[in-house]
Amino acid sequence: MTRSPFNKTILGGRIGRSFWISTVSISCGLVAWEIAARLWIDPFFLPPVSTVFLGIIELIERGLLFGTIGISLYRILAGFLLGSIVAIPIGLIVGISITARAIFDPYVHFLRFIPALALTSLFLVWFGVGEVAKILQVMYATAFIVIVNTATGVVTTHENKILAAQTLGASPWQIFWLVTIPACIPSIYVGMRLALAGSFMVIVAVEMLAAESGLGYLIWTSKVYFKIDWMFVGIFFLGALGLLADYLWKMFGRFAIRRFVRESADY
Amino acid sequence: MGIQLKDICFSYTPASDDPLVLKNIDLTIDNGEFLILLGPSGCGKSTLLRLIAGFDHATTGSAEVDGSSIDGPGKDRGMVFQDLDSSLFQWLTVRQNVEFGLKVNRIEAGERKERANDALRMVNLTDHDHKFPDALSGGMKQRVQIARMLAMRPNIMLMDEPFAALDAQTRQMLQRQLVSIWSEVKRTAIYVTHDIREAINLGQRIVLMTAGPEAAIKREYAVPLEYPRDQSDQVYIDLLQTISKDIEEEVTKVWS
Repeated sequence: MTRSPFNKTILGGRIGRSFWISTVSISCGLVAWEIAARLWIDPFFLPPVSTVFLGIIELIERGLLFGTIGISLYRILAGFLLGSIVAIPIGLIVGISITARAIFDPYVHFLRFIPALALTSLFLVWFGVGEVAKILQVMYATAFIVIVNTATGVVTTHENKILAAQTLGASPWQIFWLVTIPACIPSIYVGMRLALAGSFMVIVAVEMLAAESGLGYLIWTSKVYFKIDWMFVGIFFLGALGLLADYLWKMFGRFAIRRFVRESADY
Repeated sequence: MGIQLKDICFSYTPASDDPLVLKNIDLTIDNGEFLILLGPSGCGKSTLLRLIAGFDHATTGSAEVDGSSIDGPGKDRGMVFQDLDSSLFQWLTVRQNVEFGLKVNRIEAGERKERANDALRMVNLTDHDHKFPDALSGGMKQRVQIARMLAMRPNIMLMDEPFAALDAQTRQMLQRQLVSIWSEVKRTAIYVTHDIREAINLGQRIVLMTAGPEAAIKREYAVPLEYPRDQSDQVYIDLLQTISKDIEEEVTKVWS
């Protein structure tokens, strides 16, 4: 366990050495990009940062940017949270009960190898062009990662914890709530973090194939109109939002539920 | 009364032809006694302790506590595990770990606090009660386990090599502490170890087991010495020699 006092937070805590190193690192990256795009690379393929920045301004002026980001974020968060809400109980039950495992496992391991993208057209037919189909696909992509991680957390809970709780007079139900669930929170936490990245991937693809809004749609239509700078705006915001979401998730782990996730939130 | 084991045989795979782990164990343990189960590693002494704890069930024979047969873990039998980390609840503070059993048994807050304080005092962890287990040393973790057991005030305290993973100094200190706790609470203690000195330092009676498989009881020794045990006492030295010789017989049996 490594716990460096200077590596804990940006919000509401000491701003540590790592933060400044990261800031310098990001700045150098942006400068290198600008120079490369001006000197060596055809700006049609890689527009300089300044052009991308102007693209952001243009999109804001046209009143497109925030709506585009907002709708994508809404789909991602709704799908991610709903998917996790469905997945965690299934993962717990599958982890605990051999019978439940026998019932659900064939479905889980069959379905989780079907990429959500393979289902885009089908969901369009089943659920229409509205938000439901898109959110369901994010749920689909999220749920299996969380199920597998949760169930793994349950089965790797050390037998001694359960035995100790039994000698202390805990009932099976108390053991489930007070030992099994807390013990597998680190696995659920890590699973949701991985699923978050998955939900970004899915929503972009879905928006490219079957939507008329969102960052994926922006990237797709930019290609059609040769607006490479807009395309980069879309790409940039995906990365930035992902970074931010992951950061918030990490801080949630470190501060809100530190006692449960411990070292799992250190990276 | 006390614990009665009659003609116990145990196998993890009863249907197969594999040799038994334990064979024909007969043992009576009186209430309030400090009993040591001693034997070479792999002899099944921990298995025997698990049978008493109710974690496993005898294949044949009967195991009873105060006349009623053991059919699972119970809060009358506390347990301290050898492993430092796996049995503690890492998401709870030291005090919350100690209060866990009291809470699930709905002991009201006042008494809960009092009993936790008592248990923490006995293992000298009062000043560390707000810490999480991962901030504690190995010896302190084992003391948390002991305190968690003590808070439940079980009639029988089962301990499976609790100090085996600790350094020699810590081990010695905890042995002394354990004896004084046992003298204070006056409950039955059953302690598994492979360390002969530890056995003589702690036990009133030592039960030596033969090497497994088909482990049985080889011999019993009474320890007619006052606590704390004086290692220079002739009785101590003689006992150490006798047991060493007996245990060596078992070890060579395994290696030849």
